[in-house]
Amino acid sequence: MKKLAVLLISLVLVISFVGCTEKKEDNGKIKVVATTTMLADMVRVIGGDHVEVDGLMGPGIDPHLYKASAGDVSAMQDADIVVFNGLHLEGKMGEIFENLEGNDKSVVVITKGIEEKDLITDESSEGHDPHIWFDVLQWKKSSINLYNELIEFAPEHKDDFKKNYDNYMDELDELDSYVKAQVEKVNEDSRILITAHDAFAYFGKAYGFEVRGLQGISTSSEAGTSDVKSLADYIVEHKIKAIFIESSVPAKNIEALKEAVLAQGFNVEIGGELYSDSLGTKGTDAETYLGTVRANIDTIVNALK
Amino acid sequence: MTKSNNYVVEVEDMTVAYNVKPVLWDIDLKVPKGVLMAIVGPNGAGKSTMLKAMLDLIKPISGSVLFNGQSYYKQRKRIGFVPQRGSVDWDFPTTVLDVVLMGRYGHVGWIKRTTAKDKSYAMDALKKVSMEDFAKRQISQLSGGQQQRVFIARALVQDADIYFMDEPFQGVDAKTERAVIEILKELRTLGKTVLVVHHDLQTVKEYFDYVTLLNTQLIASGPVEEVFTEENLRKAYRSTGKILKG
Amino acid sequence: MNLIELFINDYTLRIVALGSALLGMVSGVVGSFAVLKKQGLLGDAVSHAALPGIAIMFILLQTKSTEMFMLGALIAGLLATGLIVAIEKNTHIKTDSAMALVLSVFFGFGLVLLTYIQKIPNANQAGLDKFIFGQASTLLRKDIYTIMIIGAVLLFVIVLFWKEFKLVTFDSDYADSLGISSKKVSLLISSMIVISIIIGLQTVGVILMSAMLVAPGVAARQWTDKLSVMVVLAGIFGAISGVVGTVISSSIQKMPTGPSIVIIISLIVIGSIIFSPNRGLLLRAIRERNYRKNINEDNVLINLYELAMNHKDPFHSHQIGAIKPIKTAGGKNTKYLENVLLKLQEKGFVKRDYFDEWAMTQEGIVYVEKHPMRKEMQYDSTN
Repeated sequence: MKKLAVLLISLVLVISFVGCTEKKEDNGKIKVVATTTMLADMVRVIGGDHVEVDGLMGPGIDPHLYKASAGDVSAMQDADIVVFNGLHLEGKMGEIFENLEGNDKSVVVITKGIEEKDLITDESSEGHDPHIWFDVLQWKKSSINLYNELIEFAPEHKDDFKKNYDNYMDELDELDSYVKAQVEKVNEDSRILITAHDAFAYFGKAYGFEVRGLQGISTSSEAGTSDVKSLADYIVEHKIKAIFIESSVPAKNIEALKEAVLAQGFNVEIGGELYSDSLGTKGTDAETYLGTVRANIDTIVNALK
Repeated sequence: MTKSNNYVVEVEDMTVAYNVKPVLWDIDLKVPKGVLMAIVGPNGAGKSTMLKAMLDLIKPISGSVLFNGQSYYKQRKRIGFVPQRGSVDWDFPTTVLDVVLMGRYGHVGWIKRTTAKDKSYAMDALKKVSMEDFAKRQISQLSGGQQQRVFIARALVQDADIYFMDEPFQGVDAKTERAVIEILKELRTLGKTVLVVHHDLQTVKEYFDYVTLLNTQLIASGPVEEVFTEENLRKAYRSTGKILKG
Repeated sequence: MNLIELFINDYTLRIVALGSALLGMVSGVVGSFAVLKKQGLLGDAVSHAALPGIAIMFILLQTKSTEMFMLGALIAGLLATGLIVAIEKNTHIKTDSAMALVLSVFFGFGLVLLTYIQKIPNANQAGLDKFIFGQASTLLRKDIYTIMIIGAVLLFVIVLFWKEFKLVTFDSDYADSLGISSKKVSLLISSMIVISIIIGLQTVGVILMSAMLVAPGVAARQWTDKLSVMVVLAGIFGAISGVVGTVISSSIQKMPTGPSIVIIISLIVIGSIIFSPNRGLLLRAIRERNYRKNINEDNVLINLYELAMNHKDPFHSHQIGAIKPIKTAGGKNTKYLENVLLKLQEKGFVKRDYFDEWAMTQEGIVYVEKHPMRKEMQYDSTN
């Protein structure tokens, strides 16, 4: 009898120990959960070896429509820091973020602190356009939010963070110059970018492009037939050479647009695929922010020059 | 078993069960040619089931049915069926003539259309049941008795040798009942065999010459004078009181 | 803007309207049989069941091809149909419950799969969740061809097997007794329902598709008692809703196409149920009111007639109070009685002598004696 009791008790203890230790899995790194691939990339760059990043959305995933699973929510709750874009980019996750902020979690809203003059308004929702990462200098400015949070959370690593951050700043400056140089290769009249949804407004504003999308700022809205027609008319009127598919939006929309244009007797090409609301596929050059921006501008310029 | 040529329908060892409780148990039934036979029994006795099992609408667990010594499939064209009135939604958008024409579909075959000749056969059948004036009427506008007559006309137009009818007198006015029994008697005169699931014990002697008493098992079957006795009825209905009036 | 101009100038509108019209027509025609077989819910179950079919196809083949999705939806739809039949046969669960069960389980499973698929790279390019509400505005020319061809085949099959469809839908037992396998024909009809749902999914989506299947047939039934007319009318209603819905959604900002189409067909159904001549609620109510009025009038007339006959002089006038009041609601007061008498006077059957005294006229007496009710009364008055 006594033996049995001892055996049972030790069994319980062992199990609870194992359970506890299994939970910890601590390798000393800061656990960061980021929503979009762009943010996950930024965290990796600035955080370096001190962070362990869990990106909720993969490449080609549409953040406007993404619905968090129960697993995602618990990942966010277990994380040390949660990073998200804000301005309703993650349209279906608003409540989750509210809960996190309410519970005193370390939360980084990357779009916090952007001045009103730098923001583009969204006429349809009377909010703001969230696609700020298309303006490289704006992305550069916004990264300060993450940098500050990291330093506050782990001041012991401040030097490393600062090194990474300064490095990143230089790379972003270089990227911005590259983009501007590429843009020069396209005629001023031809600097018109037609894509599947209104994601590229900041790009247009920063680099001097006229930008039109078929769907609105969020992909949850359906493009009506009159939207297709007016955009097709616009394309024909300005003799635009190429229109672009986006990696995270069904290609069918652009194909329908192309057909509408063809029906008017004008031949418009599909200039290629742009990475809009996410970075490029893993394993390619485009899997980082730097790579993606480069790939995008190259595609655009090649098709329009 | 020897195949007897006197019997138009031979049921052997038929058992039908849905769950554990059987609906029909080990039925052996022989129906001679040219009889007008009533099938009676209490509710749930399996009367409709037996009819449907004979027509291959329900699969029995065991047993066989022969028609004129052959399988149902071979003799199908010779068999006419009048289902229960309630088995159909009478609000269906179709006319009386259309329903009777359906009786010709077996002869016409797949895909092909009905012809003027089929129409005239249908009108003849309607005349027989005194419904020719109703040919273009919507079936939703018919009374119970009229509906029953349409169903009978539909079976008549098949020009079958054996007719199965499931409760044709249920909920029908007196005039229709008299008209229908006249038709059945006429069919018998023409040498046809008619099996009728019947619910009214009081009219069995008057209307039918053969009767089968059923209560999950076959209680008795044969000429009415011989078989339709108080004793057999008590066995079928499991009662002790007098069943027949007068 | 002139509607014709609209169509001439706008290619996309033409394409989408054409596709929606074709779809509406096909689903209306095929769906009529579902309505008559009282299997409207089946359409709903199959549409919802399509979702996991599409999702699984994507997971397995990692493809964005619409055709492959349609195939997945088709398989899932047929599976759902088979499952419903199996449940009905082998358990005590009734048809309604079986359909609701399969509908919700399949759809829920589909939603779960979509959440999982979210994580797969480039899944959004497939536009899977667009199948929930449809993406009519992105119909391409090749989609129209597909709908046209499949639609033509389905319609051809219906024409070919018209009498078999009619018979099996009306009386399946009798059909079997004739050697026409009701099981096979039912299966054919169900398959056709599944196919029309599949081609319609792109336009109105999984949730609303059952409306396109059932509503046109229900509406058409209100206007005719002939099966052939009903089926054709259902096709027309479906087509109209497709075109009008598309035009409306293109004229109004942010008005999605699929739901617009369904709103139109819903209006058509409601309108048909209320306003159709034979079965419509409105006209039926009016007719019944007229019947009641006539009966009231006749009753009053007959009452007056009795008074007249019991008097030496049939044309002698009687006090209004002596005329028995009408027993219908509101008929107990003299004012109402007076109104009825006025109406009768207009018809020439009675005459007012003094202020509230009324007498029969010759026409009135003739009318009563020819009245069908008179025969009943004759039996009564044989004493």
